[in-house]
Amino acid sequence: MPVQKPGRRLFHFIPLDFVRRKVSGGGNRAVVASLSLTSMIDFLVVTVVFLLMSFSASGDLPRPKGVTVPKAENTLDMLEAPVVSINGSQILVDGLSAGNTRAIEESDRLQKIEELFNLLKNKREMWARIHGNDKPFPGVVVLQVDQEVKAIVVKSVFQTSAYAGFPNISFMVDSITKASGK
Amino acid sequence: MAGVDVGGSSGKRRTVDSEVNMIPFIDLLLVTIAFLLITAVWTHMARINADAQVPGKPNEDPLKLEDVKPKYLHIEMRGEEKFVLIWKQGETVVNTVDVPRKEVKIQQGRVEVIRFPDLGDKIQEEWKTNGQHANASDPVADQAVLHTDNKTEYKYIIAVIDALYGTKRDRTVNGKTEKIPAFNVTFSIN
Repeated sequence: MPVQKPGRRLFHFIPLDFVRRKVSGGGNRAVVASLSLTSMIDFLVVTVVFLLMSFSASGDLPRPKGVTVPKAENTLDMLEAPVVSINGSQILVDGLSAGNTRAIEESDRLQKIEELFNLLKNKREMWARIHGNDKPFPGVVVLQVDQEVKAIVVKSVFQTSAYAGFPNISFMVDSITKASGK
Repeated sequence: MAGVDVGGSSGKRRTVDSEVNMIPFIDLLLVTIAFLLITAVWTHMARINADAQVPGKPNEDPLKLEDVKPKYLHIEMRGEEKFVLIWKQGETVVNTVDVPRKEVKIQQGRVEVIRFPDLGDKIQEEWKTNGQHANASDPVADQAVLHTDNKTEYKYIIAVIDALYGTKRDRTVNGKTEKIPAFNVTFSIN
């Protein structure tokens, strides 16, 4: 291979900014931007792994307006059961009106809530019709109560649910992780 | 097109150089992320158990009836200054302990979390002394009865039940041991 006379070279240490600008778009901002594919895929994979790990099919329950459930640490997983929702003004069973919260608060006495009792009783009878006598009735009801509701309402609903054949009562809470130091 | 090179090829032999097509790969990742983000449950709902069936389900095996009367832990939360823990065996008061009502409030978004760490510690201590169902093979939990006035807000009730359920014990079923709450809670109607 013949030895050739070297052509003109640019030295790295000479700051030829005008040449660099020319190459990268003639002084204007470059139209083509390169994306580092490796880091993008790394980011996407990490995001997918994180989302898959934190994915949970349980605990996804609709929360009606006006109900802010309290938070607790020592909790159990949610289960499938009729939901009694209690806010500052009304009591709902799976979306159907089952009583008035204010009336109970004003009376200030423990009472059996007739509408709630009838709705829960219907649910129990429906369950018995579907399942027959093969399976024992679980008698579980979930109370979704707003954190500001007074104890008299909670106690009345608790007692009415027990009368209607639902003695296993669960209070819905927002699960929080255990604090390291109390 | 972008590709991942995993080796070189030589001669007429079957090539060992294979490429992963980046476009469907990135599409798949993006669709997976979109699906997981849409279906994600950011607030995890859980439950705290209570039982209105007191003193509990009827004993299935009458031969196992114990002579010992069950002890109940009554938690009196009507006082503004203190909780009173009362162990009762039938009508007999076995032990009474006062616990100062020191609440810890933590603001988490719109929700104010109330906690009673001192009460939780005291209940644990009391259960170690007076609890009747500490054996890991025992399926029955000790019973706690919560006494509250009508005006108490629900968040305080949950805070007390949460403190109560902080006391755990071992439970062995089919050789497998797990931690379960030492107490089962119910409400007093008065």
